[in-house]
Amino acid sequence: MASVAERQPPLQSTRSFENDENSPTILPWDRFSNWLHCVCVVTFDLELGQAMELVYPSHVKLSEKEKMNICYLSFPDSNSGCMGDTLFNYRIRQHTTTFNRKAATLSTRNAYERRGPVTLQGENAYYHGFVYFRQVRDKSSRRGYFQKSVVLITKLPYINLFTHLIDIIAPEYFDNGEPCLEAACHDIDQWSPPFPGATLHLPIMGVVLQVRIPSKHDKPAQSQVIKPILSPGSAPPIVIPSVNEVEVFKCFQPVLPHIQLLWELILTNEPIVVMAPSPTFCSDTVQALVFMMSPLKYTSDYRPYFTIHDSEFKEYTTKTQAPPPVILGVTNPFFAKTLQHWPHIIRIGEMGPVDKSSWKKKKSSNIKTLESKPGVYTRYKPFLNKDKTVLKRLQKGIQNKRPVEVQDAMLKRHFLELTQSFMIPLERYVASLMPLQRNISPWKQPPRLKPFLPEEFIKTLEHSGPQLTSGLTGDWIGLYRRFFKSSNFEAWLRSRQQEVNQKLSILHLDALCDADLMQWIKDKQEVEIVDLILRLRDKLATVCAPDLPTRQERINQLKIHMDHIISSLPDDLQSILKSN
Amino acid sequence: MSMREIKLCLLGDSGVGKSSLVQRFVSDTFNTHSQPTIGASFMSKTLVVDDQSYKFQIWDTAGQEKYRGLAPMYYRGAAAAIIVYDITRESSFSAVKMWVRELEQYGPGDVVLAIAGNKADLVDQREVTYDEAHKYADQINATFVETSAKTAVNVTQLFTAITRKLPAEIIVSTHNTVRPTRAPQKSEKSKCCRS
Repeated sequence: MASVAERQPPLQSTRSFENDENSPTILPWDRFSNWLHCVCVVTFDLELGQAMELVYPSHVKLSEKEKMNICYLSFPDSNSGCMGDTLFNYRIRQHTTTFNRKAATLSTRNAYERRGPVTLQGENAYYHGFVYFRQVRDKSSRRGYFQKSVVLITKLPYINLFTHLIDIIAPEYFDNGEPCLEAACHDIDQWSPPFPGATLHLPIMGVVLQVRIPSKHDKPAQSQVIKPILSPGSAPPIVIPSVNEVEVFKCFQPVLPHIQLLWELILTNEPIVVMAPSPTFCSDTVQALVFMMSPLKYTSDYRPYFTIHDSEFKEYTTKTQAPPPVILGVTNPFFAKTLQHWPHIIRIGEMGPVDKSSWKKKKSSNIKTLESKPGVYTRYKPFLNKDKTVLKRLQKGIQNKRPVEVQDAMLKRHFLELTQSFMIPLERYVASLMPLQRNISPWKQPPRLKPFLPEEFIKTLEHSGPQLTSGLTGDWIGLYRRFFKSSNFEAWLRSRQQEVNQKLSILHLDALCDADLMQWIKDKQEVEIVDLILRLRDKLATVCAPDLPTRQERINQLKIHMDHIISSLPDDLQSILKSN
Repeated sequence: MSMREIKLCLLGDSGVGKSSLVQRFVSDTFNTHSQPTIGASFMSKTLVVDDQSYKFQIWDTAGQEKYRGLAPMYYRGAAAAIIVYDITRESSFSAVKMWVRELEQYGPGDVVLAIAGNKADLVDQREVTYDEAHKYADQINATFVETSAKTAVNVTQLFTAITRKLPAEIIVSTHNTVRPTRAPQKSEKSKCCRS
């Protein structure tokens, strides 16, 4: 992990977090809420059905709707096959009206959002639920079974970390009950905040987990594949190789020849249903789909596990409107009928030896019954041709029993290169829309990014299109045009515009600070000077916004400039300006 | 210099001063009004003994009865355990024997045991004699000291003594990319230095 150290954020910024330890503003549960919203225990009550047995910490507020969703989603939808322990995850909308209570957490969050990769930003409208469900025979129960789930509710999409975490906490809870959740939550309340770029040691129930929080500045291909080492007797931390990366190869193996098609569907926000035999395969596959176009962020809704009880069931399954651009993962056979009008359906069978027949693409009208075979059901014709080399290499790997980790890394690399080949021309075009540094003048408003013109962009493709970095042939232009209509594109463009405009605003501030304002006002009318002061005030208000990484010394400099200018004015004007 | 990471847990009755011992060891401070521990607290501290660094991962368990069932999580995989009693409370010393039996039965086979008679500054209220405790510790081959978290007596010495009883092991590099798995040590036990 030597390379990690080099990529750590500058010392100064990490230190502000370490100081938290002694800071009096950190209250109990503040650190906990950097990581988790709460832990829930959901049980099966003979009279009520699924019921919330426990929410920990007890002060945490969940709305009735959130509780209901958590209760229903935390049990397998049709659970007859889920004997023993089942791990899966889901994503629900927040339905809270309660006011987000802590300023301390908020400031941590801002720093986090600025430095973290877009794909890993904490969610403000959704919660992720990580479930450990146990179902065992129990003669003492009237139903004949013990059925209970322990669930972690969080805003952070750290799929891997939280899956590990629930796998540690839940079995202990089943053995030891509530004090165990108390102990676990208390441990988490000692964790340092998830600062991008930091390598953290997280104590939990007698073990220490080592994770690295990804940063915006990471090179995407460098995800460290470190095997966790569990050595008895001694206690090096358990290394979680990545907080968020899922095993894409394992998930896509049943539909391997269609990965290209799936990537296009994800890129362009097409509505997709994943039908799988268990909530585990179901949520893993949806997470793999969402992951496949990283570092680009998948921006529309996705539900790794969706049931008929979900509060958005009606909204998402209505036949009076076109299917929404979301990904739903389902296990209930009922959906085969409810969602048969959806344009793209992925059916996953039991994981394991792959029945090659699932590798054929199927017309979506064929899917009517539950017995439909695994495969991808769609009428979609991909814009790009298949990458046969990659497919051959992966298939050879399957034959030669190449380790899954290696196959996984190969597939991830393929997706990354594909996404990068697609995005590089777009990034380059946006960079060309940036105004020149010399157009930044202290006397004018800061320049803004020029508008994105799709046709202008398409023209650039001839010379600097994806053919420069990708050997794939096909209708790239058609794919771009489709992408322009998607919310993924919209969100990407918006975030680029925001970034550039922020940067310009800061450069403009620098220009103002370095300008000789006193010299400039010498031969100016009072009205022009007052106008300048008002503009400077506006400027200060914009650069002091909490989401901007403005340096405090620059802000102070500008304030001093302003005071000087004001003091050069006649007394009566001064007092008016100061009183304002 | 190489670094050994040592998982260590503290066990013992409620109120005997486990957290205070850890606080004294880790930050050399003492708090008269410390709160009961919830579940367990985790701290780490590096100690250098005879040119060798030891990084202690300290799991300071809660003494309250309701957390009793959680103890195995903390002593599981531990290289050392400190069982603490209060020299002014006979019942807390009986609890030591109970913990020793539990560790013998369910704990890691090669765990280094230490017994600490805490609150040694309160001699005038003493209920457990030094000799009685020392004799018992000798019987079970455990390190024994009387400590005072309040006056700092014997606290660092306790941890130093533990490092000397640890079995020799493959040196774990501080550079944590590659970690050799620890070899089984049962056979190495005889190589222990003085106790």
